[in-house]
Amino acid sequence: MAQSMIAVYVQTDGSMVEPTSLQLITKARAIANGQRVVALLPTSDADQTVATVKQYGPDEILVLADDRFAAATDTEIADGLYQVVEQVQPNSMLIPATVVGRSVAPRLQAKLQTGLTADCLDVYFDGDTLVQVKPTYGDDIMCEIICADRRPQMATVRPNVFQAEPAQAATQVTNVDFEFHPEAHIKMEKPTPIISSSANISDASVVIALGRGADNPQLIEKAQKLAARLGGMVGVSRPLTDHAEFGHESQIGQSGQSIAPDLLINFGISGATQYLVGIENAKTIVSVNTDPDAPIFTKSDYAYVGDANDFMDALLSSTRV
Amino acid sequence: MKIVVCIKQVPKSDSVKIDPKTNNMVRDNVEGVINPFDKNAIEEALRIKDQLGGEVILLSMGPDGYMSSLRDGLAMGADRAILLSSRAFGGADTLATGYPISQAIKKIGGVDLVLLGRQSVDADTGQVGPIVAEYLNVPQVTFAEELRFVDEHTLYGQRLLDGATQSVQVTLPAVVMVRSELNTPRYETPVNIQTSFEKPIDVWTEHDLDLDATRIGQAGSPTTVQKVYAPKREGRQTVQLSDDSATAVKELLARIRN
Ligand SMILES: Cc1cc2nc3c(=O)[nH]c(=O)nc-3n(C[C@H](O)[C@H](O)[C@H](O)COP(=O)(O)OP(=O)(O)OC[C@H]3O[C@@H](n4cnc5c(N)ncnc54)[C@H](O)[C@@H]3O)c2cc1C
Ligand SMILES: Nc1ncnc2c1ncn2[C@@H]1O[C@H](COP(=O)(O)O)[C@@H](O)[C@H]1O
Repeated sequence: MAQSMIAVYVQTDGSMVEPTSLQLITKARAIANGQRVVALLPTSDADQTVATVKQYGPDEILVLADDRFAAATDTEIADGLYQVVEQVQPNSMLIPATVVGRSVAPRLQAKLQTGLTADCLDVYFDGDTLVQVKPTYGDDIMCEIICADRRPQMATVRPNVFQAEPAQAATQVTNVDFEFHPEAHIKMEKPTPIISSSANISDASVVIALGRGADNPQLIEKAQKLAARLGGMVGVSRPLTDHAEFGHESQIGQSGQSIAPDLLINFGISGATQYLVGIENAKTIVSVNTDPDAPIFTKSDYAYVGDANDFMDALLSSTRV
Repeated sequence: MKIVVCIKQVPKSDSVKIDPKTNNMVRDNVEGVINPFDKNAIEEALRIKDQLGGEVILLSMGPDGYMSSLRDGLAMGADRAILLSSRAFGGADTLATGYPISQAIKKIGGVDLVLLGRQSVDADTGQVGPIVAEYLNVPQVTFAEELRFVDEHTLYGQRLLDGATQSVQVTLPAVVMVRSELNTPRYETPVNIQTSFEKPIDVWTEHDLDLDATRIGQAGSPTTVQKVYAPKREGRQTVQLSDDSATAVKELLARIRN
């Protein structure tokens, strides 16, 4: 039998590689244990995307080159990947748990008649079996899911739980045979960015996070001022997504974004499990809460027991420029 | 316009128990409600019906207890409901859920639009919609935050990607998964609640559908839950800052600056 393989779906948007895909290449390399790490790359700009992917050191890049991947439908992407997966028969397949990844993966799963686990926080091998770790309903429940008999073992993996690390490897680049089958009855436009990619809390180096205990207009305004001064962004716990200015993209946690800033300051956040999973990769965590027993403190490097507004004012006056 | 809305019943509270033998979540004896995103799907179906006429059919797969959320959906204004219920369907993962649902949609026949929620809040996978779309061999629009009919057969939609929006136009039939931004679900009215009891809920078992028996229930599910546990998270060494906020900020800045 050929050497066993971990395939990673590399999502592209025309010429840009979606960052989670690169994180998954690094992760795949870390758990490969002798398996080949192969990037499956549907792209409309092979030169640029191959160059990006190469920096992360997969053993091979299988390029599905077609101009129409600049604005392909989920079905068209799933169909292209299906043709390649049938050829190379990977043991397992990792897919970014982005909107596109989560839309493409189940269609591919149905074509392949195999198992798929959504939105994993971790994956590891137990022998030949890919153990897929995901949170599930309610507080404090994690589950490990396996797909014992069918292949590939597929998982979508949450953005930003792993860090992409550049790596040197003798990456083989292969243009694979496949046929782009245009889907009838549907027309996708190219995506329009809502915010520039630099303005995404998952990439921010400083995050000022507000929770229900910091839910008032003055404090929100001050937080925005502080974030601007520190070159950071404001994020929120779920209750604050009710405000028009904080959409889903500002929400931190299990059903929001995972963040990995150098500095995170939490104001009035209790520290529910669903929030905490989103901040695990923050380097320094400072938390401000009136309740000394708030669970957030056990995950914090610095604790201030007291009022959010007081601490905010003190921070603002000592960071004045 | 014939619209099928797939709804799932989910536990009302966060406290879900795990069956230690099967490692599946125990859903009996837990009060169930309609998965919140599925309410948006029902609402959208009702609005489309108001605009274009037609029929709104609720479809759910699950134990008899799911009747209660189907009844709630009928009370919102849906016309009729079908429950796929049988021991044979039990223990299904998303693949073995999407398959009988798609076969039921084929049996209903002449369906123009299938609406689903973007994901169920308990399983949280969002997989059933694309699987159904694949089995029906029709286009899909996932994570729809805006929907509008261009004409009777053409639907314009906008979906929300990570930090971007994307416009899409589909000719029916199609499968659409909706986000909560799409609309605000209506409340049940007393009149609708009353008439809901006159509306039929058909129960279909595996015998009512054209099914490959190896593709349903636990046996038709490639995935298994091998372990469920409470995550241990490593605590951090926490430095307690002074009570006075000005002093506390000074302490903090002194430490994080070097
Ligand atoms: C399936 C599921 C997914 C979820 N996903 C997410 C998610 O992705 N992200 C998320 O955030 N939540 C999520 N939740 C919700 C989560 O369980 C919590 O309800 C939520 O995180 C609580 O937000 P909070 O800490 O802001 O509010 P609360 O828990 O109400 O905490 C407010 C805190 O503020 C403190 N406080 C009050 N006044 C002050 C003051 N003046 N100064 C300082 N502190 C003060 C209080 O002591 C308290 O600790 C999810 C829940 C479920 C069931
Ligand atoms: N058992 C079920 N019966 C009917 N519809 C379902 C069922 N499970 C999931 N769905 C639909 O599929 C959507 C996504 O669910 P999930 O893939 O479980 O996250 C839900 O919002 C429902 O619309």
